[in-house]
Amino acid sequence: MSALLEISNLSAKVAGKNVLQGLSLTLNAGEVHAIMGPNGSGKSTLSYVLAGRPGYEITGGTVKFQGRDLLSMEPEERARAGMFLGFQYPVEIPGVNNVYLLKAAVNAKRKASGLPEVDAYEFLQLVRGKMKLMQMDESFLSRGVNEGFSGGEKKRNEILQMLVLEPTLAVLDETDSGLDIDALKVVARGVNSLRSADRGVLLITHYQRLLDHIVPDQVHVLARGRIARSGDKTLAHELEKRGYDWVLEVA
Amino acid sequence: MSVVLPTNRDENWRYANLRPLAKARVEEARPANALTRPNPPPALPGYQRWQFSDGHFTVSDASADARTKLLDARAAGESFAALLDADLSSAGVDFSLARINAARGDDVLQIELPDDSSPLHLELLFFATTSSADGTSYPRVQIVAGRNTRLRLVERHLSSRDIDAAVNGAFDILLRPGAILEHVRVQNCSATSAVFDTLVAHVADAAQYRLRSMTLGGLTSRTTAFIKLAGRGARCELAAASVANGIQTHDFFAEIEHVAPDTVTRELYRGIAADRGKLGFNGKIVVRESAHGADSEQSLKSLLTGSGAEASVRPQLEIYTDRVRAQHGATTGKLDEQMLFYLLSRGIDRRTAQTLLQWAFIEDAVSRVDCAELRTDIESLIAAQLNEVSALEGLLGKQ
Repeated sequence: MSALLEISNLSAKVAGKNVLQGLSLTLNAGEVHAIMGPNGSGKSTLSYVLAGRPGYEITGGTVKFQGRDLLSMEPEERARAGMFLGFQYPVEIPGVNNVYLLKAAVNAKRKASGLPEVDAYEFLQLVRGKMKLMQMDESFLSRGVNEGFSGGEKKRNEILQMLVLEPTLAVLDETDSGLDIDALKVVARGVNSLRSADRGVLLITHYQRLLDHIVPDQVHVLARGRIARSGDKTLAHELEKRGYDWVLEVA
Repeated sequence: MSVVLPTNRDENWRYANLRPLAKARVEEARPANALTRPNPPPALPGYQRWQFSDGHFTVSDASADARTKLLDARAAGESFAALLDADLSSAGVDFSLARINAARGDDVLQIELPDDSSPLHLELLFFATTSSADGTSYPRVQIVAGRNTRLRLVERHLSSRDIDAAVNGAFDILLRPGAILEHVRVQNCSATSAVFDTLVAHVADAAQYRLRSMTLGGLTSRTTAFIKLAGRGARCELAAASVANGIQTHDFFAEIEHVAPDTVTRELYRGIAADRGKLGFNGKIVVRESAHGADSEQSLKSLLTGSGAEASVRPQLEIYTDRVRAQHGATTGKLDEQMLFYLLSRGIDRRTAQTLLQWAFIEDAVSRVDCAELRTDIESLIAAQLNEVSALEGLLGKQ
């Protein structure tokens, strides 16, 4: 098994506060890892640091993505190299329509790999197929990015983008928050359809229920900016029963 | 004729670049050299086209429609501007340019739709082909839209790329009860031109004036608009977009006066200042004591993308009655960092992402142009003005 993502002793500051404090984690190709943890433990910070959002200062450690130094890459380079962030709060961009964004994103990635632009007709067919899987109406395509979408629609749209972009590593930041059980199943189906031997998924979640539908290979508990405990899927059930305090005490 | 020209000390002219006024000769432009005229844009389906060079009529493809005719300036008289003028306490110097136009303008295009007559679609092309040293162009249009008529009017100002034309236009508009005027103005003169215009509209009961103003060209551009909502239920929708780059200054003053009850204003402004461009938009709304039930909304936004760019965007409200609804918002800012990061995180390069967001910003105003062919053309002009034709290729005509 080859390591897709290797985070070693990562520390990061945001707004002058040390949020990540020596976090280490290795995710191999073909694996799904869940990161759970109480509010304020650094879950979202980890996702933003991986995606390269400005305002996060790396104070120590390294991150390797397929052997490359991820932290030295621009956000757009990371995306083109096969990394995808599913946002907890996807932003609305009125005036830029969804299909345009999808196509521009796919073409940016293809260009970086020396491939020609995608065929417009084939692309639309592909997107339509993925939309069906996500139970999204086609009218979404011509609307502004996330414009006027409900919370659940925004999350589905994130997964749709992921399915179209086919990333090597998907980091999904609380994709389950605010979803009802039916929407949760749709999102889980989308994520599961992407699972393959050469891809990895980092699922960041506050609740165990998502993990009933996307079964992880490993579960990590993030507390005070580092991994406090790791285990298999049964760890999630134990957390559900005993709460996060239990881990914090042990840690 | 002695007319006192406005200066930056005058209340409504603080942001305008008035230097070209002094430089331009107030004589009429000498007959143009036809060779310097740029190619006209593609025709709009269903529109009759009238073309003018330096304020003088040249050619029309319109089949004889008695409702549109040319008048001599003296026959046309001062008309509605003068009528409104008498009512407007603040007029004075604001009408100086219109007065010069009325005194100099030779060919006045008069559009007169009799009550209940059929809809008319007109496109007016004003070419400026003469440099300011050879005089000023004085386009002039008078519109009377009779009861329940509908007029779609496209007004375009163009010039050759390499001249510093001076243009001083004037529009007189009278909308009778129930008339609807959709007026799209596109100013795309050379970046060395000075383009001034005065627009006066009188809107009667249940009539609607929809003005979409797209300002792209000119070293200096200034629109002075006075719109009077004179009859019950009269409505004004103003959507203005402006993109200033290099050292362009675009200034827009709009005073909308609610005189009658239940009158409505919807005003939207989106301006982008790149490089050392300057933008001014002063949206003044006056609600008279007689205008109970008046309803006005203003959304005025400017975006600064250049390090030396400036913008002054201000809503101004003068309300003399309690029974009104008035909402206004004005912002000047930079690109939204969260939106930018979202696009970058999808692999889109920074420059394209920035352009897309500028596009989305200005599209808010441009999308209000109803005619699809014209909108596509305007979008291409805006893409060129943003210096990003290729990045926006996939978006043109798709909204």
